[in-house]
Amino acid sequence: MPCERKTMRYGHSEGHTDVCFDDTGKYIVTCGSDGDVRIWESLDDDDPKSINVGEKAYSLALKNGKLVTAASNNTVQIHTFPEGDPDGILTRFTTNATHITYNSSGSRVAAGSSDFMVKVVEMSDSSQQKTLRGHNAPVLSVTFDPKDEFLASASCDGSVAVWKIEEQTQVISWPLLQKSNDVINAKSLCRLAWQPKAAKLLAVPVETTVQLYQRDSWAHVNTLSDDLGTQAINVVAWSPCGKFLAAGSIGGLLTVWDVESKLCVERQTHEKGYTVCGLAWHPSGGQIAYTDTEGCLGVLDGLSSSSSSSSTTAAKTSYDDLFDDDDDDRPMDEGVSEGARSPAKNPGDEDDDDDLMPATGRARNRSAFLDDENSLDTGSLKLGLDKFVDDDDVGSAIVPPAAAAAPLRPVYDGPMPTPPQKAFQPGSTPAHLMHRFMMWNSVGIVRGYNDDQDNAIDVEFHDTAVHHAMHLTNSLGHTVADLSQEAVLLACPGTDELASKLQCLHFSSWDTNKEWMVDLPKGEDVRALCLGQGWAAAATSALMLRLFSIGGVQRELFSLPGPVVCMAGHGEQLLVVYHRGTGFDGEQALGVQLLQFGHKRRQVIHGEPLPLSRRSHLSWLGFTAEGTPCFIDSEGVVRLLNRSLGNMWTPVCNTRDNCKGKSDHYWVVGVHENPQQLRCIPCKGSRYPPTLPRPAVAILPFKLPLCQTTTEKGQMEEQYWRSVLLHNHYGFLSSSGYEIDEEGQSQAQKEQQELLMKMFALSCKLEREFRCVELAELMTQNVVTLAIRYASRSRRMALAQRLSDLALEKANQLQGEEPQEEEEEEPLQYTRRNTGSGLGRPGSAGGQHRVTNVLDSMISSSRKPTALLSSSGSTGKLNKTPVLKPLAPRPKTKVQHNSQIETGFQLWLEENRRILLADNPELEETDVIKEAMGRFRTLSADDRLVRCLTQVCVCASLINTWCYDTLSVREMIYLLD
Amino acid sequence: MDPSEVEFLAEKEVVKIIPNFSLDKIYLIGGDLGPFNPGLPVDVPVWLALNLKQRQKCRIVPPEWMDVEKLEEIRELERKEDTFTPVPSPYYMELTKLLLNHASDNIPKADEIRTLVKDIWDTRIAKLRLSADSFISQQEAHAKLDNLTLMEINTTRSFLLDTLNCMFKLRSNLQPGSSGGKAQDH
Repeated sequence: MPCERKTMRYGHSEGHTDVCFDDTGKYIVTCGSDGDVRIWESLDDDDPKSINVGEKAYSLALKNGKLVTAASNNTVQIHTFPEGDPDGILTRFTTNATHITYNSSGSRVAAGSSDFMVKVVEMSDSSQQKTLRGHNAPVLSVTFDPKDEFLASASCDGSVAVWKIEEQTQVISWPLLQKSNDVINAKSLCRLAWQPKAAKLLAVPVETTVQLYQRDSWAHVNTLSDDLGTQAINVVAWSPCGKFLAAGSIGGLLTVWDVESKLCVERQTHEKGYTVCGLAWHPSGGQIAYTDTEGCLGVLDGLSSSSSSSSTTAAKTSYDDLFDDDDDDRPMDEGVSEGARSPAKNPGDEDDDDDLMPATGRARNRSAFLDDENSLDTGSLKLGLDKFVDDDDVGSAIVPPAAAAAPLRPVYDGPMPTPPQKAFQPGSTPAHLMHRFMMWNSVGIVRGYNDDQDNAIDVEFHDTAVHHAMHLTNSLGHTVADLSQEAVLLACPGTDELASKLQCLHFSSWDTNKEWMVDLPKGEDVRALCLGQGWAAAATSALMLRLFSIGGVQRELFSLPGPVVCMAGHGEQLLVVYHRGTGFDGEQALGVQLLQFGHKRRQVIHGEPLPLSRRSHLSWLGFTAEGTPCFIDSEGVVRLLNRSLGNMWTPVCNTRDNCKGKSDHYWVVGVHENPQQLRCIPCKGSRYPPTLPRPAVAILPFKLPLCQTTTEKGQMEEQYWRSVLLHNHYGFLSSSGYEIDEEGQSQAQKEQQELLMKMFALSCKLEREFRCVELAELMTQNVVTLAIRYASRSRRMALAQRLSDLALEKANQLQGEEPQEEEEEEPLQYTRRNTGSGLGRPGSAGGQHRVTNVLDSMISSSRKPTALLSSSGSTGKLNKTPVLKPLAPRPKTKVQHNSQIETGFQLWLEENRRILLADNPELEETDVIKEAMGRFRTLSADDRLVRCLTQVCVCASLINTWCYDTLSVREMIYLLD
Repeated sequence: MDPSEVEFLAEKEVVKIIPNFSLDKIYLIGGDLGPFNPGLPVDVPVWLALNLKQRQKCRIVPPEWMDVEKLEEIRELERKEDTFTPVPSPYYMELTKLLLNHASDNIPKADEIRTLVKDIWDTRIAKLRLSADSFISQQEAHAKLDNLTLMEINTTRSFLLDTLNCMFKLRSNLQPGSSGGKAQDH
């Protein structure tokens, strides 16, 4: 049963609606909550005739040129049709009637009302009334038996009753529905329908199914259901022939069943998924009109015009439909196997693609959820989706049937793309609010008011020394703002006439002109803004990032790899987050760039993915007061850029851990590293705060999500790493030429070393000596000395021994590349010196001097325990230690030195190994090295120098070389020893 | 001790303010205050809060109990119980007066709060009078009064003592040479 769903059109204001056809089928008549009855000649009728029947119209029925309506003034009125003149009042209730219907001949009208009564009134004489009492709640719907003997009614008390009209008695009552206290609260309108002509069956919509009851026996004979129908059916209607039954559901699903075969022959979804509340068949049976609770009218056209339409086709299609439910690839397969398909069927298949809707519905729900919380523009997104679907339908309608036989789009049920997060300003509340924060940052607060009286912007500074508060009238309709110590930056989106504008109130300017404005090119809208020190940046809808100086000079301009999400500026740094691509299953695919302006212009982060929590979106982006990039996702996880770990992001806090309630959130306004503070506003039951009452800032501590932070060990580890991470900014600041708080830095270092020492002591107590050494590796050299002392005091000689070796290593490391040890092997040392002299590096002698000093001190310190031991008198151990001592450290130090030194020779060896092997194929690995060494020595000094220089150039890769060839190096060490 | 002295004591109570200036820690005899960061709440004594407020250097964050709902609860409880109920702050009356007089713009529903606190105060003072009355009429030697604030004791003290003195005099005149009234003397 192919049919075409026409685009819906607006009919009434939002609310309950009803629809019917006139006797001839020429007009569609609708009524709605605006109290109007509209008479449409067709769906395309641009000027339908309107009859006002009251404040609200609940239901209507039309027959024999008499239009009866149930209006909000508790009456059932008659109007002439199509003139629309009032023709008296048929009956009255104590409250409004909920549903009215004609009998088949049009001689009687039944009306159900909220006052629990059903009345049956003769059209010819309205005084002839029959009242059916028995329902215990408002009546939902009424329907006449076509033979005029019975009447069925459904009520909010959950019952569906059949009455004998003449006797005014209940014949039977089924408790089928969910109870409710009013029609508005009822789960379903439960519009009953009695099979016309044959009058054998009564259709009752119950939840997602339609129950069929047989007349006279009142037995339940059949259930019609649809697997795709997940929501309650609101209304059912029989086709005039009585063979088909149409149903409209809450979720907007329209289904037509062939009652005999119980098969679903037609299935359509409402284009927006609104609740269908009115449904009527055209008297010819070829059309269904339906209305929804949003006041729109739609039509399904081209249904099989009569019952005589080939039942075989219908059955076939219905089987297809059945299988289609779970096998979405069918159209493809069938397209292949069944080359000559009836062309008329193809549009129907195309419509099957609409079955995708429930799936997309999920994504839509999700987006609605996002909308609540973060001003994502789901409105446009939804429209986009719908348009997409519509286009598809239109396409299928236009494409001639033959062409439609071409490959059909396979139905996709893999991971669904996430709607991309909309651009936002970090520290702002959603734009749809009348009173909102346009910006709350460490400088101040920008509030936007957009109500009946006022469209204004208030700028207030935390520190009144920066500037006094400002009040601006927002005549341009600015929607985004940023605030810095120097300026306020505002921007408005473009309209049809006006271009998008960028306005800067540069209040710190020393001249008298404190404001400038820039118009963006037509069609380009500002999406995100930020201010830095002496510059402003605006990211636009044209994927462009425009830089301005704070005084209004246009500066650099570059393209962004994707639509911007948000930006943040601090000093000379600019952080941009944009959509890298499409995320799936709730994930966002965001990329981040960190740019540095000023004298060292460079890109620090090159569009790497931003690591958000699972299924979350970005909710705040910015810099700490010290200039470290930081971001927060919707799961409340705060991540800080770890510059010491190759610009990775480390989670430092989860604000949700501090929330009491499930729907409580913290709205972050600032992050400080020193002191460690996360400044945020606690929001009870929402994601962002209201402007009034004025929210108060609270402070959350940072906490790295390390394991076992309840134990002492875990706590100290967490403290240590947090301290290390949050003091990274000193290194960054000093490297980028800022002044730093030296005292603070040294204090932080002291604190870290103290923590290490505590952890060391703890591990000592727990007899974890290996762990002690690991901890000692993190310590600075002089703290290692302390550790050695601690170890020796607590009688852990082996540990002290290892530590002293470690101290030695550390001392050597301190010396860096400078030549340092006399006992080095001659050729290597030689190369080394060459390197030094070749590069003109001064002070090798001084370095050596220092080395010996360090060594001396180390040896003396490592001897202390020995002395202590000797005094304690355990001689056996004492004798052993000196013996062990030279052995243990040597290979280690050698490895280390070789890792630096071997490079010259190693490089040469790598280059020349093949030649060597070719010359002496019988050589073993060790022999090769021996041989190579010999040759290397014979090389001229110049030659070696060249090699050494190249070696310096590839310095970075040398570690790898070394790792790659560990074996040979080890052997070499062995040989050298 | 007069009310102004009690108020002076109340000014040592700590209250949260949101400064709009920045200042390092200040070291005072009473303890260190600050550091003051613009926009960040900080605890200071009431006297400083009021001083800063008068110079428009800060906003005062009302104490937690200074909230219509909480005060209504306390009022109901106070009315229900015969004895004195614990008050939210030992200086609730003084603080309310001080803060509402100087910073009513920072306190939501200031008028309602003023009325509520006055109600609580009236209820308590009425109770106090009642108990003083029964104390005297029953010629008790001592009475136990919990949860009274300094201000409340202060308001009733002079009156009660004077009354007792007066009564003592009258009694001793009635029964010359008797020392029966002495027990009532505090």
